[in-house]
Amino acid sequence: MNKAITPGLTAVRAVSAQPRQGAPALWLMPLIAVLGLFYLYPVFDVFRYAFTDMTLLGKGDHYTVSTLINTLTRPELFEILWVTFVFTGASVLGQQVLGLAVALVVVRGEKRRLVGTMLLRTTALVAWVVPGVAGGIVWKMLFNGAPFGGLNSILRLLGMAPMQWLSDPDTVMWSVVVANIWRGTAFSMVVMYAALKAIDPVLYEAASVDGANPLQRFFYVTLPQLRAAIMVNLILITIQTLNTFDAVISLTGGGPGRATEVLSLYTFNMVFRNYDLAAGSVLSLLMLAISMGLALIYARFLPMESRS
Amino acid sequence: MKSENQARIGDVFSYLFMALMMLFFAWPLIWLLSLALRGRKEIYLGVARLIPHEPTLDNFTAILSSSQFAAYLVNALKLSTLSALGCLAVALPAAYAFSRFPLKGKGAWMMGLLSFQMISPLVIMIPLYRYMASIHMTESHFGVTMVYIALAVPTATWILKGFIDGIPESLDEAAMIDGCNRFSVFWRIILPLSTPGIASAFIITVIAGWSQFLVPFLLITKDNLMPIGVGIFQYAGTQNDSSLQVLAAACIVSVVPAIVAFLSLQRLILGAMTAGAVKG
Repeated sequence: MNKAITPGLTAVRAVSAQPRQGAPALWLMPLIAVLGLFYLYPVFDVFRYAFTDMTLLGKGDHYTVSTLINTLTRPELFEILWVTFVFTGASVLGQQVLGLAVALVVVRGEKRRLVGTMLLRTTALVAWVVPGVAGGIVWKMLFNGAPFGGLNSILRLLGMAPMQWLSDPDTVMWSVVVANIWRGTAFSMVVMYAALKAIDPVLYEAASVDGANPLQRFFYVTLPQLRAAIMVNLILITIQTLNTFDAVISLTGGGPGRATEVLSLYTFNMVFRNYDLAAGSVLSLLMLAISMGLALIYARFLPMESRS
Repeated sequence: MKSENQARIGDVFSYLFMALMMLFFAWPLIWLLSLALRGRKEIYLGVARLIPHEPTLDNFTAILSSSQFAAYLVNALKLSTLSALGCLAVALPAAYAFSRFPLKGKGAWMMGLLSFQMISPLVIMIPLYRYMASIHMTESHFGVTMVYIALAVPTATWILKGFIDGIPESLDEAAMIDGCNRFSVFWRIILPLSTPGIASAFIITVIAGWSQFLVPFLLITKDNLMPIGVGIFQYAGTQNDSSLQVLAAACIVSVVPAIVAFLSLQRLILGAMTAGAVKG
C-alpha cells in the first residue's frame, strides 16, 4: 500500500502518522447519498413492485405473486427474448470483431506510417459520440425505403432493386444491428487499441526468432495476450447493448410488428404505454438478472491473475 | 527483401480495409450533411446529388432561427453542464477518499461502484418516475439534473480516482507536515494537480448528459423545457419525406456540439476511459 516512503520520511511519518488515518465517511457521504437515493432505494422498490398489482394510474396495491407468474408466462415474452438475443448477440459479436480489426489496422498503420490512420480512428469515434436518438434518425434516413433513400439510391445506381430495409420483418433486424455496430464499434476499438499497445514487444521478437508467420503471431501471441481485455470489453458492450433503448425507439420503434422490440423497449412499453407498473418491474428485474448472469459467465473466463 | 515485399502487400490490404471502414463510419454523416444542404427538389434525386447542384443553408437558418430549437439547445446545454458540475462535486471528494484513505475492501468498493453500470437507467426510472410525480418534481430541470448526476457519478468517480492515484502521496504528506489539514490538501494540492482528470471527467459527463434521452423523455413533457435529445425525437415524429432536409439539418445541429466537445479533448478522454477498462 505504501508507495512513496523514502527512508528519511519514515521517521517523520512515525511522529505525524497522519496521512494514513482519517475518517473517509464524510468524504464519501455525498456519493453514498446520491447512489442510495437514486439507485439502491429505487432498485429495492422495483423488487417490491414486482410482487404487487400496481399500475401507474390507480392505487391497486396488493401484494401478490400472480403478476410475476403472469408476466413471465406471457406468450409474446419468448419472441421478445429471442429478438433481444439476436440483437445483442449480433451487435456484440460485430462490435468486438470489427473493433479488434480496426484497432489492429490502426496499430499497424501507426507503425508503418500509413496515411489516414488517425482519420479512420477519429471518424469511428465521431460515430460513437453521436447521441443514440440522433443516430437512429440518421440511419432511418439511410434506410429510407423510397428509391431516393441513402442506400437504395446506391443500389439503383448499381442497377439493383431497392430494399425495404425497415419495413420487411426479415431484414429489419439486420438493419438495426448494422446501425448499432456503426455507433458502438469505436468503444471496442479504443479498448482493443489500448490492450494491443500494452503487449510486450519482446513477445513478438521471440515469436519472429522462432519463425512464426504473421498469422501464427496473431493466434499464439496477440489473442492470448488480449484475453482479459476482450472479456472485460465483452461484459461492458453486452450490458450496453442489452440496455440500448434510444437508438431502437428512434430507428424502428420496435416494429414492424414486434420484429425489433427488444426487452428494454418491451419493458418501457409495459410501464409507460400500458401503465402496468408491476409487470414492468418484473421485466426490469429480468433485465437485471440477465445482465448480472452474463457478467458472471464472462468473468469466469478471465485469466486468473486479473481476477480479484 | 522477402519480408519487405510481404510488408508492402500487408500495406495494400491495410489500406483497402481502412478505406472500407472509412466509408462505413463516414457514410451516414456524409449523407446527413448532403441532405441538409439540399433544397426540397434535390431530396428526391438520391445519391446522384451527393454534392447538391444548388446547395443552400436555408435548412440550418430555419432550424437555428426557430425559438423552439433554440430552447431545446439551451435546455440541453443547461442540463448537461449543471449535472456535470454537480457530478464533480459528488465524485471528487469520493475519489480522493478512495485514493488516499485506508479503507477495508477498497477493491470491492470500486468494483461495486462499477457494477452500478449494470443497472439500466430504465430500471431505476420506473420508481423514480413515481417518486418525482408524487413530489411534483416532473417538469423540472432540477429533478432531471439530479438523476443525470446519479447516472454519471460512478464512472466519474472511477476516472478521478485513477487520476488522483497518479499524484505522488509524498506531496500530501509534505503539506500535512507543513500544517495543512485533509481539506486544504485536497483543495490546494489535489484539485489543482488533477485539472486534466477533472476536465476529462467533466467533458465525458457533459457528452453523456447531452445524449440523454430516457430520463428527460419520461420526466419532461412541456415543449419549452425539453432538451435537444427529446426535442429532436418529437420533431422527427412530425416530419415526412418532403421535409427530410430540415430534419437532417436539425440532426446536425443536435450532434455537432457533442462531437466538438469530444474532439477538443480527444486524447485526454480516451486515456481516462481506457485506464479503467484495461486495468479491469
